[in-house]
Amino acid sequence: MTEPSVDPGVLARARARALGAPAQPVSEPVPAGLTTASDGERLWLLPAWPDGATPALLEEYDTAPMPMDRSGQARRVLAAALRCCWTRLDDAPWPGEAVPVPAVLEVYGGMSRGDAELARRWATGELRRLSDTGWLLLDESAGVVRPGPRVALWHDDALGPLRDLLRRLPEPPQGVLAGE
Amino acid sequence: MSEPFEPLLRSFDERRRSELVAAYMAVEHAAEPVPEARLGALREPASRRTLEAMLNLSGRTLIRAGRSEWTSGYQDEVAEELARDPACSPPAGDRAVLTLVLIHSVAIPRAAGRLPDDTWLSPHPTPLEELRRRSQLTITELEAALRRLRLAGLVAQVRADGRSDGGDAGGFVPGPQFHRLTPAARRRLQEELILAAGPDSPLAATIRARRRSRERVRQEAGRQEAGRQETRTQAVREAAVQGENS
Repeated sequence: MTEPSVDPGVLARARARALGAPAQPVSEPVPAGLTTASDGERLWLLPAWPDGATPALLEEYDTAPMPMDRSGQARRVLAAALRCCWTRLDDAPWPGEAVPVPAVLEVYGGMSRGDAELARRWATGELRRLSDTGWLLLDESAGVVRPGPRVALWHDDALGPLRDLLRRLPEPPQGVLAGE
Repeated sequence: MSEPFEPLLRSFDERRRSELVAAYMAVEHAAEPVPEARLGALREPASRRTLEAMLNLSGRTLIRAGRSEWTSGYQDEVAEELARDPACSPPAGDRAVLTLVLIHSVAIPRAAGRLPDDTWLSPHPTPLEELRRRSQLTITELEAALRRLRLAGLVAQVRADGRSDGGDAGGFVPGPQFHRLTPAARRRLQEELILAAGPDSPLAATIRARRRSRERVRQEAGRQEAGRQETRTQAVREAAVQGENS
């Protein structure tokens, strides 16, 4: 019986959107019409937007993007993680380096006031959420975190303010970074 | 990188092209449907057709919400394919929690006449306690399911409004993704809820009968299409032969 079939390329792009930023081995063929970010072993499928636009365009049209709970806190934790993982700021943030989670928690602790233990707990939850959404790659069993494939979508000409911001954040603890 | 949009955008001048790109990004990424007054490309049927073609490249389609607002969602046949893919389906626990939210926030208020027929958004929150009691999940599992559902925009949390005179006590309602259902997807969801809530009801029997007859029509159409294709192939073959002979 002939089922109404969907073009395989269309379905592959739809599937990539439904899954967020799915990973595959670099050896597998890449569906057409998607952007990719690779770390040498794996390759992540990312959306290809027309004319280099990004969702940041929504701001120009007074249109709110999908809301994120505790977005301020999530942004600060992402900044703390990038402070540790994006060590050569003149390069691109992707793929960056894997760093121990305690280093990120320490930087985050240095950025926030109040109960340090509570801040660490909140930040651990945020690391998970940022990992669920592809902004970071968190390996809880190894206790390390690194930039997620979505940061590969940032345009180089938009990175200036982010670099300035990261330079102003507390430095990552060298002992923790060295794995001591 | 390949530029899949180029063939669709090539013929437009710079202003029209940037209007189309802005409208595409807005319907794909805004939390809520976008008013057409805000985006030029959404106002005219001709540019909406181009927008529709841009969305179709990824199995998406333009969806009208209200009189003059627009969003996007998966085309019905694409959603059907994705739903068959286990990697694309949320875990059973998440689906159970979402179903409870739909029953409490939409189905019950609708049955009581407190909610219009064709919407899946609701101002009536499902209390956390109700989800805990009915879902058979541990509190840790329930919290993880709610975290994922909120992150996906499938549920939204409503804070208690502080009133004690019968005002809503806070909880969870269907999230902004429910704007993105096509008319057929809204109808299917409505039917599924009826089948789940009252499988022996006359309404459920009607739904099952309608689905059986739709399936028969589809199978018949499939047979006819196969027949037409055979005729076309034959015609092409004949034309090719004629071409060779002329």
